Amino acid sequence: MLNNGSLKTREIVAILSLFLGMKLADSTPSLLAQKSQNGFWLVPILSFFILLPSFLLIMYLLKKYKDKNLIELMEAILGKWFGKALGLLFFTFVFLSLSLDSRNYVEQIKILYFPESPTKVIFFIFIGIAFFGAKKGIEVIGYTSWIAFPLIKFSVTLVFLLIFGKIIIQRIFPIFGSGIDILMLEGLQKASIFSEIFIILIAYTATKETKKFRHGVYLGSIFAFLEIILFYFIYTTVFDYNSIQKVAFPFHDITQYIQFGEFFTNIETIFMVFWLFAAYLRFIIFLYLITMIFGAIFEIKKFEPLLLPFSFLSIMIGLLPLNSISNELFLRETLFMIMSPFLILLPVLLWIVALSKGELRS
Amino acid sequence: MRKKNIFLICIFIMVFPSGCNDRQELEQQSYVVAIGVDKAEEEDKYDFTYQIANPEVGSSSSQGGTNEPPSEIVTITGNDVLTATYTANAFVSKKITLDHTKVIIVSEELARDENFLRVLQAAARTPQIRRGVELIVSKEKAREFIQLNKPVTETRPHKYFLSILNRVTRSGLSPNSELHRFFQITEGDADLFLSTYASAIPSEEGEGNEDEYLAGQIPKLGGSPTQFMGAAVFKEGIMIDTLNGHETRLVNILDPTMDIENFITTFKDPIEPKFRVSIGYSQDKDPNISITYNKDKPSLIEVTVDFKAEVIAIPSLVDYSQNPDYQKRLINQIISELEEQTNKLIEKSQKEYGTDPFYWSLFVRKHFLDVKAYEKADWNKVIYPNAKIKVRYNLQNLEFGKMLNDTSLEEVRD
Repeated sequence: MLNNGSLKTREIVAILSLFLGMKLADSTPSLLAQKSQNGFWLVPILSFFILLPSFLLIMYLLKKYKDKNLIELMEAILGKWFGKALGLLFFTFVFLSLSLDSRNYVEQIKILYFPESPTKVIFFIFIGIAFFGAKKGIEVIGYTSWIAFPLIKFSVTLVFLLIFGKIIIQRIFPIFGSGIDILMLEGLQKASIFSEIFIILIAYTATKETKKFRHGVYLGSIFAFLEIILFYFIYTTVFDYNSIQKVAFPFHDITQYIQFGEFFTNIETIFMVFWLFAAYLRFIIFLYLITMIFGAIFEIKKFEPLLLPFSFLSIMIGLLPLNSISNELFLRETLFMIMSPFLILLPVLLWIVALSKGELRS
Repeated sequence: MRKKNIFLICIFIMVFPSGCNDRQELEQQSYVVAIGVDKAEEEDKYDFTYQIANPEVGSSSSQGGTNEPPSEIVTITGNDVLTATYTANAFVSKKITLDHTKVIIVSEELARDENFLRVLQAAARTPQIRRGVELIVSKEKAREFIQLNKPVTETRPHKYFLSILNRVTRSGLSPNSELHRFFQITEGDADLFLSTYASAIPSEEGEGNEDEYLAGQIPKLGGSPTQFMGAAVFKEGIMIDTLNGHETRLVNILDPTMDIENFITTFKDPIEPKFRVSIGYSQDKDPNISITYNKDKPSLIEVTVDFKAEVIAIPSLVDYSQNPDYQKRLINQIISELEEQTNKLIEKSQKEYGTDPFYWSLFVRKHFLDVKAYEKADWNKVIYPNAKIKVRYNLQNLEFGKMLNDTSLEEVRD
């Protein structure tokens, strides 16, 4: 299945921009704003550029080793067992972020749109649908993402246009928020907000030619990056520096705030539909890629039956935190902080080992 | 195969009805349009008044006309906005929903209380209440305001609040006082927040020109008893003063974040001082504000307002349109009057309030690199009260409407 992938560049772009770009509409911005105040929109820029060398390095290695996905690459360079051990660590991180993220999304849905439904039910339905989607395989995920891509981006653009009048540019000043030192530290610690660009590397062989995949990943990550920056900029300019810390779901706060002229108020449900659509796609992709990583580590060629146990497991772990605030502000932040050095250093380690083994010369 | 089908059907039966968990039939909800908040007799309790719209009135489905009133008004004592709705359900037959709330009306008594911010915070926490809800301060108790507010033609309350607030903010008589703005300014802790001021009980009639009134003071006959005029001034979340309609207009002119369209006002006739000339004021551009920040000596704030004027009426019948000298004097009169009033307002804000109602703190921010330095420089205690402020009004063009000249009175009476 992996070796005769048939995705195209545009599908990889769509997958990545939905997978990563969704970060503009969840609670990541409020997590970042806790310490950096109105300078928080600069944090992803710093993070991106901190993570960029490592990312380029691993792309270079993937190109050199040809037709290997991320885990196979690690095994090829570091030896079978050490490679698998690191792969397992990577898997643990990714799986934890899936569980915490899904809880986070479920809480958003519950608080804002279904206040009376039990969290468990929403969780089961949410992940259940993601499971059915993931079960269809990477090709279907790719096509669906590509079809959904324009719709979702159109709704996001509409939000942007409608909120435009409420933007007060001067609110980005003082430009460095709570201080340049804090921003730098945050940028480094939270570099793993872009962890998606590493996770997607597991599907390196899902396109016909790996060149298409590389193009897709570059384009998709740049697109998602710009989109995230734009929206974080909007949050900074719509909310003042003391208020942004208090807003848990800035995207939804904005969709509740905007109106379509004077007559059409309370239009957030329109955006909720597209948001939910994007959220489902994000978790379909997430679930599929995670199972793929697991399959690659344990050399399970037919990994798709594993989707069900993993979905179930992610619900169980996701239900553990007491509430969404402790989940968001403590657990997710800690995970980001542990994951960042791992993602920054892993490619460097791979590169050094590969270099010393002399495999890069050919 | 059959087993599989049965299994699937079971799953669907389990999954789909769970969507009904949050179903709310339109029929079973009461939509609150206005919430009034007053202090209750007990401490730390508040009286919440809900004005619930009656959807039957004014809808096309009831052309026969019902005898029901357009809204139901209930008052409940409670802790916070949402809890009180559940108590109110003891006598309101449907589930009270706050999604369509347009305004929150607060009595002046409560607004001047230091606990005011607590009540409002609790309201803002409720996901049902949106950031676009307008805050109104009423001179009397909010309950009385809602009860007395009997619009004559726009009887449906949501339509009424929508149009009146739209109109008063566009004409500059009242500020834009969305909850969003309230929290941004109050949490920013630098500037003053202005809220719409209203009253449904006529008080002593005020004196002065057309916009120098507070709500309740406008001499009028007929119409709805409710008046929206002027602004309540909030400093650090507590109401400290009121501004009349004229001062509010000036604030709206000087604040670049406010949208003011155009309005008609009068200026003293420079040639025949016992008359007043009516001028249509319009402003296409936001005022230009530049702040030179000096660490040790007073900072310099320079404001330039570009505006256009149209002469609407000249009761003195002086020939302004064709006499360039008179025209010059009229322009000078307009500008000097505006500048004089503005300077008076600025002086009041510097000496009495200690900070500005114009949201100018936004423009000093770029002189600082981080929030710590900005907060240390202290806009509302150090920079603004000591600043030298120069406001310049710049008349871009003066139009004379559709008449070239007025008829000379002497000629007519000849």
